[in-house]
Amino acid sequence: MRISDRLRMGIRSLFRRKVRTLLTVLGVVIGCLFIIITISIGHGMDKSFETQVKEYGSLTTITVDTYGVIYDEDGNWAGSKEQKLDKNLLEQIKAIDHVRAVTPVVRAEGELIFGRYRSGISISAMDKEAFKEFEFPDLSFGQYPTDEDNSTILFGFYQPWEFYDPNSRMWTPVQVDLEKDKIAFKFYSWQYERNERKREFSIPLNNIAKMEETKSEFDYNTYMDLEYFQKIYLQYCNTLTLEDRKKAIKVLDEYQQIRLNVDNIDNVEEVQDKIRELGFQSESLLQYLQPTIDASKTLQLIFFFLGAVSMFVSAISIANTMVMSIYERTKEIGVMKVLGCVVKDIRLLFLFEAGMIGFLGGTIGVGLGYLASFLINKYGEPIFGALMGGGVAMGDMQGATFSIIPIYLPFLALGISICVGLLSGYFPARRATKISAIEAMRTEN
Amino acid sequence: MKDKQEYIIEVKNAKKIYRMGSERITAVDDVSFSIRKGEFCCLYGSSGSGKSTLLNLMAGIEKLTNGQIMIKGRNIHRMSEKGLAKFRQNNLGFVFQSYNLLNSMTALENVELPLVFKHMKMKQRRKLALDMLKKVGLGERTKHKPTEMSGGQQQRVGIARAFVSNPEIVFADEPTGNLDSKTSMEVMDIIKNMARANNQTIVMVTHDPNLAQYADRIIHIFDGKVDEIIDLKNKDTKDSDLLSPLNTRPLVESEMLPAEQT
Repeated sequence: MRISDRLRMGIRSLFRRKVRTLLTVLGVVIGCLFIIITISIGHGMDKSFETQVKEYGSLTTITVDTYGVIYDEDGNWAGSKEQKLDKNLLEQIKAIDHVRAVTPVVRAEGELIFGRYRSGISISAMDKEAFKEFEFPDLSFGQYPTDEDNSTILFGFYQPWEFYDPNSRMWTPVQVDLEKDKIAFKFYSWQYERNERKREFSIPLNNIAKMEETKSEFDYNTYMDLEYFQKIYLQYCNTLTLEDRKKAIKVLDEYQQIRLNVDNIDNVEEVQDKIRELGFQSESLLQYLQPTIDASKTLQLIFFFLGAVSMFVSAISIANTMVMSIYERTKEIGVMKVLGCVVKDIRLLFLFEAGMIGFLGGTIGVGLGYLASFLINKYGEPIFGALMGGGVAMGDMQGATFSIIPIYLPFLALGISICVGLLSGYFPARRATKISAIEAMRTEN
Repeated sequence: MKDKQEYIIEVKNAKKIYRMGSERITAVDDVSFSIRKGEFCCLYGSSGSGKSTLLNLMAGIEKLTNGQIMIKGRNIHRMSEKGLAKFRQNNLGFVFQSYNLLNSMTALENVELPLVFKHMKMKQRRKLALDMLKKVGLGERTKHKPTEMSGGQQQRVGIARAFVSNPEIVFADEPTGNLDSKTSMEVMDIIKNMARANNQTIVMVTHDPNLAQYADRIIHIFDGKVDEIIDLKNKDTKDSDLLSPLNTRPLVESEMLPAEQT
């Protein structure tokens, strides 16, 4: 038989039993729909996590701060404690399994100087390797610190703040061109007492880099290599009175924060537990997101289960339809065999019918899947918003997408539907070929 | 060699035994005969004599228990299922007592069916099927479904289907069994004329002595065995002598036994 003839005969026999075909197709539609919803919601959640990660930092990052926040078992704030972060702790954390990168963070307050204008700034100094390890954003100009030149000061997208003249009454900001204008930095003078015989310390910033916008913490911070920072800080200390110099130098032994990166998102909790064993409180974005992730995984699992069950049920109903169809057409099969129809053609004929049911169901399912995705995104906020917001990205919930259908999904769903059809049609089809022609022709109908 | 080629069908010691539980029924018992090319051969016998089984064996629809059947020099019971299907496509046509048309298809599509199996192109096979339907006098009813036709019309569709691929041999199993006598004659005329036009071999099963008259040769089956072979082709020889036993004995039998369809 030609392929076109097989198609024609298959479609004809499907049409002969319209209602039965329709009901069988319906089963596939439901299964296909569930598959699409499951995967599209999974993608929607991934996407929403991705944006959250961008806004709040990487999900694999853990921070240990000087003031560690303590939560009780239910995740409520229970107070905070001061913890001493030093080299010793840094080495201990480095030794924990799954820790990929660790850096100390030292923060210092100061101001930028541009002529008579000033702008307050907080600098976070960390190991220069960290800029790579913690996936810092691309730069619109300048360079990350290197071994040769580590003097770069890295401004986030919204840094530095605007420059004002502290002595003017008007407080009108001036525009500063970071690439051309001469800017200097100095530590706040009120922190320590200056040695009267020495000039006030300030350092011109000749090596400036600026980051591109990331909508994340990077946008609002200024960074520097820790080694270079220590160098200028010691220079600064030299300008202080003997008494204050000791105090100021001592500050360098302690860090304001230790920041570490874990190799895999699944190990974040484990590493946090290990840090707790060391006696330190740590924080990670994941610990806020964990309940959300768990909830969404549960939801997806339920949908997946429903999808699998309904696919299984529709497979049974396709098989049932095919068996019925073969019973009804026993005589026809016999006649066809006697007239010289090759066994392969009979098998293909029934396989085609079963596959066609899968295809029809899949196509309609994909169509409804797009509709469902649209409706979920439009009206699903009360249900999905609660599950996916997780209290972290509340601000951006409006117009969020909960269900995203990637390009491959309709094809995957259609493929699964057709496969279910073919698989459940296979045994009935094989049975049809085994019918003896002479027996078949004797049956009445 | 030439003699052998002349026989298109050779049945050698064909035997068919059915098993019904522990009981064994010999339907065809060691039958041997040959049929020449272009011959109209009739397997004649009463109900249950094994004539239909013999036809099915010759067509390869049923499996032989013993012996062999050669068609065009090939042992059809040694062929693979696929080989046999291809062989049927190219060499055999079938007319059934109960027509065996596919009810979901129109007359035209039914006639086309054997050509569909032969991978013939739509245009070509449609033309052949139409010609065939015209030849059997159904040129006007091509779009009708079998359920919308009379028995005679249905059987004519069946005949068109059997002859459409121009097979060398057409098997007919009681082709008029469900028809009245007038329609029967019409149908028989169609079969005979078509076969003659293309020098096709017909093997027909019947229990009706009147229909047997259409044949060139009558093979009388009785109780699974060949009772006698009557040659009607050379009418001038012993025409009346040969016919007399045929006309009397089976008629008596068929009157005594209720007609039973096989």
